[in-house]
Amino acid sequence: MASARILAVDDSPTILAMLEEILVSAGYEVLTAEDGAEALESARNGKPDLILLDVMLPKLDGYRVCRLLKFDQKYKAIPIIMLTAKAEEQSMATGLRTGADQYLTKPVEPERLLEAVADELARAEG
Amino acid sequence: MSGHETRLEHDLTAEQGERFREYIHEHSGIHLDEGHTDSLRISLMTRATRFGHESLDRYYELLVADETEFRELMNLITINETSFFRFPAQFEALRTFVVPEILDTRSPAVRSFRTWSAGCSTGEEPYSIAMTLLDAGIDSLGHHAEVLGTDVSTHALERARAGVYPPRALLNVPRDRVDRYFEPTATGHRVTDPVRDVVDFRYQNLIKGPHPSALMGNWDVIFCRNVTIYFRIESTRRVVESLFERLNPGGYLFIGHSETLTGISNRFETIEVGGVFLHRKPTSAVRASVPQTPRPARAAAAAEAPQVPVRAVEPEAPASEPSDAAAHLRDARAFADNGDFDAALERLTEALRIDPTLAAARYILGLIHLRAGRTDDAIAEFRRTVGADDDFVLAHLNLGNLHRSRGEHAEACREYEAALGALERSPDGAWSEFLGGFEPEVLIATCRRSLDQCQRIGGRG
Ligand SMILES: C[S@@+](CC[C@H](N)C(=O)[O-])C[C@H]1O[C@@H](n2cnc3c(N)ncnc32)[C@H](O)[C@@H]1O
Repeated sequence: MASARILAVDDSPTILAMLEEILVSAGYEVLTAEDGAEALESARNGKPDLILLDVMLPKLDGYRVCRLLKFDQKYKAIPIIMLTAKAEEQSMATGLRTGADQYLTKPVEPERLLEAVADELARAEG
Repeated sequence: MSGHETRLEHDLTAEQGERFREYIHEHSGIHLDEGHTDSLRISLMTRATRFGHESLDRYYELLVADETEFRELMNLITINETSFFRFPAQFEALRTFVVPEILDTRSPAVRSFRTWSAGCSTGEEPYSIAMTLLDAGIDSLGHHAEVLGTDVSTHALERARAGVYPPRALLNVPRDRVDRYFEPTATGHRVTDPVRDVVDFRYQNLIKGPHPSALMGNWDVIFCRNVTIYFRIESTRRVVESLFERLNPGGYLFIGHSETLTGISNRFETIEVGGVFLHRKPTSAVRASVPQTPRPARAAAAAEAPQVPVRAVEPEAPASEPSDAAAHLRDARAFADNGDFDAALERLTEALRIDPTLAAARYILGLIHLRAGRTDDAIAEFRRTVGADDDFVLAHLNLGNLHRSRGEHAEACREYEAALGALERSPDGAWSEFLGGFEPEVLIATCRRSLDQCQRIGGRG
């Protein structure tokens, strides 16, 4: 997987920059979005191979973004990894039913993040 | 509905029906079985036509994206949907955890255990509560249960008072409870007197108020499940606030299993019991409208949202003295994390009045401006942040990003360099609490890469 394109979504610009750093230094191409509406737009137009989606987002929350994409024949194959803070773990069941492919709890270790990304990309490939 | 009418291309297909039912179930706990297909179809057509949507798939998309529309639809589909022991795990938590805890911790002089079922519909919920309290052995412990059911639907209240249910309504009630708490009559199953004796019903509108004096307070437990899903968010906030006031300290609020208090109220402690999330009013005299603040977090533990204790914890000493700038700062952060920026701003202003050099307060202020798209204000505030504490790495980083996005590469480079310098000097300064749990190495790499790009574009280096 030479250069998969990954859409990273988080409402904190500094965290987003760090996510970008982790992904870029692992050789991925990265798109970013800071709110749900932007994420949806970018998911539809930017043709990402995978989406890293924070749950707490302004405008449309992460679950909604996920559900809208997974509902759509055109985009439902894109793997989605949800990033969640501890306090939101109670919604995990909702997230899984929402169709997210994987869940990571913040703070997430860079290695763990990259592992999950590689796993999901491989799965989508295979 | 009159006026312009768009004809729908298709009727509700079986597949669409399934999708809508699933979505509705997930978001309201209301399960629409085959018997409801007609009501579902008519409601969907009505709403979809209203938006001029020619296909129900389009309307589904709207429904998923728009919470208000979901409520509108639910209003049409069903309002009184309820059942005995709906989400049984909550009643188990009430019996095995909440009742013993409350009885253990309060003054032995208090003899009644008071539960309010707000939005009780046709009575299944308050009767289930009463049965659960009797099963918990409240009587033998020398207490007596008082359960009050209230609703706006007079029709529902009439049926609740009658307390007679068709056999179908008892399908999910365990056999032994049916035997203990129901008696067969000609018209259906009637709730037995020992249960009826502890339950009372009254008309009350949660939205409109005023509350009848019987409702003023001293509730040990309040159930308000699947009621506010029909409300606008501001109303829900007001209702939950008022429920909070009416609870005894240490009392519990039960909300629907698919509902959340996130963005509604942060005054409750959230506790997990056997897979059920319960919301408890803290026992210490915490000042009004002070959110639960995260523990004075060590850098590594500073996730961006308030932490949820896995079990009941004794509340800490009252958060702070009002004059304590750091306490205002903690509150502000909790508010900001919850998306309540107005409340956060108020606290920040207060914190900065006490201590104008509080860099972290300036930083959060900058983030709030940034979020609202006020980039000039954000830049000014981040400048003040580094004015107060030149080692505040994240403020430099944000300044770098802002300047870069404006094409001001020389300034951006300077800020990234400043960030790197500050990282070296004080790798765990006050700013590191805002790192979202990432290691400083990631941040160093982030700054280096940004600096690199900036230098290349800006023609430096
Ligand atoms: C779906 S039922 C939920 C019943 C029960 N709490 C449960 O979870 O099974 C919602 C109930 O809330 C009531 N309700 C709606 N708006 C209300 C209001 N403003 N004040 C009081 N009750 C209201 C409705 O009449 C209805 O009976």
